[in-house]
Amino acid sequence: MPRLLARGVGQTLITLGVVVLLFVVYEVYVTDLFSGRKQDAATAELDHEWSAGSSAPASGTASPSSAASAASSTAGAAGADVVTVTNPDKLVTDPGRRTRSYETSAGQGFAKLYIPVFGPDYVYTVIEGTDPDDLDVGPGHYADTQYPGEQGNFAVAGHRVSKGSPFNQLGQLSSCDALVVETAADWFVYRVLPMQDETAGWKASAHAHCAGVAAGSGPYRGVFGREITDPADYAQVLPVPHRDSTAVPRDAQRMITLTTCHPQFSDAQRMIIHGVLVRSYRKADGFLPPELQES
Amino acid sequence: MYVWIWRHLPGPTALRVVEALVLFLAVVALLFFVVFPWLEPYLPFDRVTAG
Repeated sequence: MPRLLARGVGQTLITLGVVVLLFVVYEVYVTDLFSGRKQDAATAELDHEWSAGSSAPASGTASPSSAASAASSTAGAAGADVVTVTNPDKLVTDPGRRTRSYETSAGQGFAKLYIPVFGPDYVYTVIEGTDPDDLDVGPGHYADTQYPGEQGNFAVAGHRVSKGSPFNQLGQLSSCDALVVETAADWFVYRVLPMQDETAGWKASAHAHCAGVAAGSGPYRGVFGREITDPADYAQVLPVPHRDSTAVPRDAQRMITLTTCHPQFSDAQRMIIHGVLVRSYRKADGFLPPELQES
Repeated sequence: MYVWIWRHLPGPTALRVVEALVLFLAVVALLFFVVFPWLEPYLPFDRVTAG
């Protein structure tokens, strides 16, 4: 009888061990597959929406549909088979004069996020909402924060481990790395703010790509390129990070904030990336922002 | 438990091996598609939002 009991306990323990191992396999591999499919579907839907041209502005250059389809073909391999407009300066816009031309709905994609330093194929369709179901599909926009290009804070959360791990590499970002956001009608180029140990004596001219990136001053003092904070630190995604107000000041900067869990394989803390808008372009046929070529 | 299952699988040994494999895969599918997705939100490494 004790022998039978020992065998029963042994089998149960082995079974539990196998279940735990299967869970690891599920987290590390299987959720990537599931999320990859959902992300592909969301991207296809967004591309279709953009190519339908319903939200594209009358730009007067090429027909909206061809412009959008040229842009959408970049989703897989930015730079391949795409004619680059020779003088991108002509497409530079004043973000203050651009109005949002699209509506968003929870769980649907509305923008694409490119991080060129992570490689030319790093692009994710950003989903509206930060519920677990939204984040399964891709990086999710905090629905009560601002939209790309607007004054305030365009805040996005993403998984660091599992579900395609879109934000796994955020820890490798350096100051001034480009975070490029594509919307229905615009390209917005954000750059990561100086890190905490770089702010003293920061000179934008001393670094490549740093034009327009300044160490935080005034209400933005203490806002750094990367911060590790408490999970409850919601003020990180408010219009002026760290300032506990949802109001957007008249002279507010145009920020981007990315959040993910920290350390890797844990969610005891949050890693926060702050960036600032330095340039924006309107979309045009065959045009890709030169910032996408940075590596 | 496994001994009991083995004894109750019909057919010759080769067929039983196949049956056991199918049973195992069915359990894995149940875990991957139903149990783990349900369990996930309760575990402490998946939350990425602030606030």
